[in-house]
Amino acid sequence: MSIASSPRTQAPDAPPTSKVAVIRRRREDRRIWLYVLPVSAVFLFVFIGPLFYTAWTALHETTYYQIGEFSGLNSFVELISDPDLPSSIRTTLVFSLGALIIALPAGLLSGIVLNSLHRFKRSVRSLFLLTWLLSQATAGTIWLWFLNPNFGPATAITKSLGFGPTDVFSSPTTALLAVTLITAWWSYPQAMLLFLGALQTIPEELRESLKVDGGGLWHDFVNITLPFLRNTIVSVVIVLLMLYVQMVTIILVTTRGGPLGATETLSMRVFNQTFNDFNLSGASATAILLFTVNIILTLAAIRFRRKESL
Amino acid sequence: MIKKRWRFAVALAAAASLLATGCSGSASESEGPVTLTYWDFLDPSQDNPRAKALKENLANFEAANPDIKVELAVVSLGDMLNRLPQAAAAGQAPDVFKMFTPQVPQMAAAGAYSPLPAAASEITDWLRPIDTLAGPDGQVAVPYEYRTCAFYYNEKVLKQLGVEVPKTYDEVVTVAGKAAKAGVTGFGTGFSDADNSAIIATFFDCFMSQVDQPIWNAEGKADFATEKGIEFGNFLADLRDAGALASSVTSDTYGTVADGLANGTVAMTVLGTERIVTMASQNPDVKWTSLPTASTGDDTGATIGWTLGIGADSEHADAAWKFIEYMTGPKAAAVMATGGEVPTRAATYEEPFFSTPEAKTVNKIAEYVKSNSEPHTYADNWIAVATGLSQAGQDLYLNKKSGSDFITSAQDAANK
Repeated sequence: MSIASSPRTQAPDAPPTSKVAVIRRRREDRRIWLYVLPVSAVFLFVFIGPLFYTAWTALHETTYYQIGEFSGLNSFVELISDPDLPSSIRTTLVFSLGALIIALPAGLLSGIVLNSLHRFKRSVRSLFLLTWLLSQATAGTIWLWFLNPNFGPATAITKSLGFGPTDVFSSPTTALLAVTLITAWWSYPQAMLLFLGALQTIPEELRESLKVDGGGLWHDFVNITLPFLRNTIVSVVIVLLMLYVQMVTIILVTTRGGPLGATETLSMRVFNQTFNDFNLSGASATAILLFTVNIILTLAAIRFRRKESL
Repeated sequence: MIKKRWRFAVALAAAASLLATGCSGSASESEGPVTLTYWDFLDPSQDNPRAKALKENLANFEAANPDIKVELAVVSLGDMLNRLPQAAAAGQAPDVFKMFTPQVPQMAAAGAYSPLPAAASEITDWLRPIDTLAGPDGQVAVPYEYRTCAFYYNEKVLKQLGVEVPKTYDEVVTVAGKAAKAGVTGFGTGFSDADNSAIIATFFDCFMSQVDQPIWNAEGKADFATEKGIEFGNFLADLRDAGALASSVTSDTYGTVADGLANGTVAMTVLGTERIVTMASQNPDVKWTSLPTASTGDDTGATIGWTLGIGADSEHADAAWKFIEYMTGPKAAAVMATGGEVPTRAATYEEPFFSTPEAKTVNKIAEYVKSNSEPHTYADNWIAVATGLSQAGQDLYLNKKSGSDFITSAQDAANK
């Protein structure tokens, strides 16, 4: 008995080898650049260009917004040797990780709740999304007013309960806690949306078979939901961390980095150096440091994704 | 074929829009009506005397000069200090802008001003010398209104405490301590830098004038950490120790303290004279008097106030000067005085308004500014001085630093 292999047939898409066909393919390849060039131009203009300009500014002396003489790595040396830098880095870490620890589970929980709803889904989703619809400036201002120690509603409540006024922005510790909570409150809907999208891809049959096997909510979460969401969780962590590392507006509106620099993150430091100290060179050096942090976060995410897909 | 025509049409549309964008900026503005861009922190749509006066003056100027339109942009002082140097560097400074006296040299150093035209020197009846409003290239601004510091107190609170109005800063501490025990903020001030440290910086400016302590030395370096300067720090430290500062002092601003005074939760404070008219209408219990005296026994503060100047590279410098001349001139200044602001030129006081009973308060304030304040020069780092004072004040309150530490820390921050 012999096993005869099926006769080899030519693949339907195999390119013809004539000269005309080659020229046609080259023309098509050239047309691709018509689509690639505009995107590349925008990318160069809004990203690469400013990045190089920032690095160039960091390598020069500056007076207000005038670029002066070449000064080499002086700005970076000043940055590294600034006794306030460790404090700014520490504040950035506490703020970013603190907001993440709150926003991530809040977003996941909201996503699970929304995904489980069968009635009033749109209304509930709109409610959850409300904070995200506010601009950062509006969100910060609302809380600044609410927590005002002289005339804010929070003070009225605490005074009626026999406590003192809500003075959260006057103390370094409470000010940092306040901006962290406000930022988490404003940003958790972004996590919720990402999780909701991922939750909707989980096959319903898996849940049904778990129910048949007698599994409860916890088993459902640990054995089905979490494994399916692993990639999404990493993506959400990276997205939120990058958002928090670059956060300026909420801090600017509420505390401007005070009191005593307690809420001055690296981003806030860049703002203060640029617009209060008029130290464009120093601010550029700090911005390059921030960019490096963002690159590290992105590379970590890409590496994790690659490992998962192997 | 249709695909090719579609692509061609899109490319043509893109090229046309680029061409239009490129052409739009190059139109000549040499003829026709002039539009001046004017940055002011006052919002004419608000319902207060100063805003109403500004609105009236703008309308009157445009009516008298039909070929000049004024486009007002409401910009807070903090934003102005951030945006002006940027705008000037980008060639987009406004034609005219308001600036507070201590910040004029710094904005001049940042290139935000055009020098005033020769016509500016024809005005010689300024009530105070104006050579302090200069930059590297000469005179850059003229005074729009004058103010100085005054001591405000809640007469009702002091009566309830059974105390007289304090005459020295030591007496202020004593009375403030008693007021704090009675449940109000004994002395209102603020260490926030959210409003460019307005309240602490203004108070500091006036106090240094009182004790005759120059803020900068001949080289332009901050040099006020002396025995006289330490007196200011010690006053704040004594207030803290007496429990007389608000618990929110590290985040309180000029506006917060003024609101507290108006609603009766602050017993005493030092604010500018521009609040006298407003405060009288908000709370009749709030009175004002000259500053308490320090060790020198002097109550002469600093003459400060808003100024007007022409923005860098303004294409309408002549029209801009015309506007400034009008706004600081007798007619406009008389309208402005109805809002409680003190005019800066002698000719203004000959206007009929100043002979009416309604002008009694503003005449009194003008007399007070004349007799109880002197202008002085500022270096080009007032923002650093002001921020340093805020930071040092927060440190004094939160970390119980001494008055001496306060003043040294503020000086070091200014010279950083």
